[in-house]
Amino acid sequence: MTMTNPPPRPPRPGLARRLGARVRTALRLIGHFLHPARFVLAPLLIVLLLAGILLSLTGGLAYVAPFVYTLF
Amino acid sequence: MACVLGISAHYHDAAAALVVDGEVVAAIQEERLSRIKNDPGLPISAALACLGHAGVDTGAVDAIAFYEEPFAKLERVMVHLLRHLPRTWRLFPRALASQLGAKIWVLDHLAESLGVPRERVLSFEHHRSHAASAYLVSTFPDAAVLVVDGVGEAHSTTLWHGRGHDLTLLASVDFPHSLGLLYAGLTAWLGFPVNEGEYKVMGLAAWGKPNLREAFERIIKLHPDGAYTLDLECFAHMSDAELGFGPGLERVLGPRRPPGKPWDLADPADLRYADVAATLQAVLEDALLGLARRARALTGSEHLCLAGGVALNALANARLQRESGFARVFVQPAAGDAGGALGAALLAAQQLGDPRPAAMTTCALGLPLDVARAHAIAVELGLPVRRVDDPVALAARLIASDKIVAHARGRFEWGPRALGQRSLLARPRDRATRERLNRLIKEREPFRPFAPAVLSERTAEFFAGEPDLMSPFMTTVAPVRPEARARLGAVTHEDGTARLQTVEAARAPELHALLTALAAAGEDPVVLNTSLNGAGEPIVASGEDALAFYLRHAVDALILEDLVIEKAP
Repeated sequence: MTMTNPPPRPPRPGLARRLGARVRTALRLIGHFLHPARFVLAPLLIVLLLAGILLSLTGGLAYVAPFVYTLF
Repeated sequence: MACVLGISAHYHDAAAALVVDGEVVAAIQEERLSRIKNDPGLPISAALACLGHAGVDTGAVDAIAFYEEPFAKLERVMVHLLRHLPRTWRLFPRALASQLGAKIWVLDHLAESLGVPRERVLSFEHHRSHAASAYLVSTFPDAAVLVVDGVGEAHSTTLWHGRGHDLTLLASVDFPHSLGLLYAGLTAWLGFPVNEGEYKVMGLAAWGKPNLREAFERIIKLHPDGAYTLDLECFAHMSDAELGFGPGLERVLGPRRPPGKPWDLADPADLRYADVAATLQAVLEDALLGLARRARALTGSEHLCLAGGVALNALANARLQRESGFARVFVQPAAGDAGGALGAALLAAQQLGDPRPAAMTTCALGLPLDVARAHAIAVELGLPVRRVDDPVALAARLIASDKIVAHARGRFEWGPRALGQRSLLARPRDRATRERLNRLIKEREPFRPFAPAVLSERTAEFFAGEPDLMSPFMTTVAPVRPEARARLGAVTHEDGTARLQTVEAARAPELHALLTALAAAGEDPVVLNTSLNGAGEPIVASGEDALAFYLRHAVDALILEDLVIEKAP
């Protein structure tokens, strides 16, 4: 059996395309939180989303702690 | 007919799994390629490696399936942080920055990194992905499925009924109550690293006695319907990302064991910690038995599938097989979060109209070795590498003469167990071999056990039990027969059991041939089989990794397909 080469990594899309994708995801997320049972979280979410889009476009955060999956 | 890539990422062991026309073609944990143990990062290298192995271009991918629902997870995180204010106020910015900085955009990131249109990226619920990863690759047309882990979106335990292609959720236990987090909290209290030290707790349990039941009744309450409740004062996974246990646990069990302190099981203090591990193991098994019996009552099925990180507890799996009332039990070998990638891929494939895959018979789903490259590197390093016509016979001869052999043949394994493709193999007879491996090569605690691999058809000569659906994947234990213990001193654990692997020719041909050669030479057809990695390292994947391991560790020989390097005597 021989080793096979993986396909090359596709080029990263441009900023405009990435921003468009983020906005669509943000709209889906807002849609998710528009459910009446989740109204209480909506104001917090909108503020956080703005920060989130910025974080995402600037590379985000990478922090791993043992119990990170329970909280983050 | 579809080509689907499943992905798990961002928490423990990130992985990619490729399903083509309904069949599992490749499955790889990112850590094997990145060489970062339990690498949680987006597994782009693993995904591309799966595609490369199958000869598929990213443009031919019909769907990417992510193993959890990012929005549902964010919702749970937000609700939980708000509910536990003010204890969580310091974590709030960091938690939400982590969610909003990366995790909720994960489907976008996958589309962009793999060059696949965003609309082809799907997501499935965490526990459904786990359930699918076990049930859909089992042999069962109908089964109860029990998923037990730390936490997914909100569930920490779920019971499912699998029938044909379908999985129906029947019952759940939700965060913060969690058997996975109970075990993780106690792992931290015992001074072991969480997400890595759980196996150590399981190994330590054999040295203790389960005599702290009364104390544990204050930590976890088991209900008659199989559900359970944690005393949250004993835990901190709701408000602390580092520690996982609270002051309540130290009030019940006493002060934690300092991390990193060497173990001395002749010391009464350490023996008490072993008693805690033994009681934890017993309580976990009781809890799982309660859940399994509930699953049996709800489904009426004869078969049980287990998934989630807790399903890697081989002792508990053996007890479930014995006492749960199910005729057969199956655990998919990558039962932890890596397995979620496989489950998500299978769910997406079904959604696209593909059939259920054939039952999983092997976990050799990784990449093969590039022998020519390994040979060139070995020559460049000046190593005495040579090609042999019969590597099996040579390996058998070396093992029979008490040599420790680093053995890399075929495609590397899927999941945390080395099953002969990337293994350290040794004669199982002498306890000194265990000491040598633990102290010099693996640099592990002296109480850690090693597992045997036995020729399937001769299992009953050495172990009290027959091969079952779990034993080929080393996800269960069996008692070593008293008359065989002297011959299996290096692989018989303190409690007289062993986490055995039964080896069939169809599932693991290289290892089967080796055991057959040992038998032909008059040896027992059993080897000590432990993973080919050093302390804190992922298991070897490539020939380069194997050579690097050989250079750093005191093994006697390295066999890479038909290449052999031996240390001078």
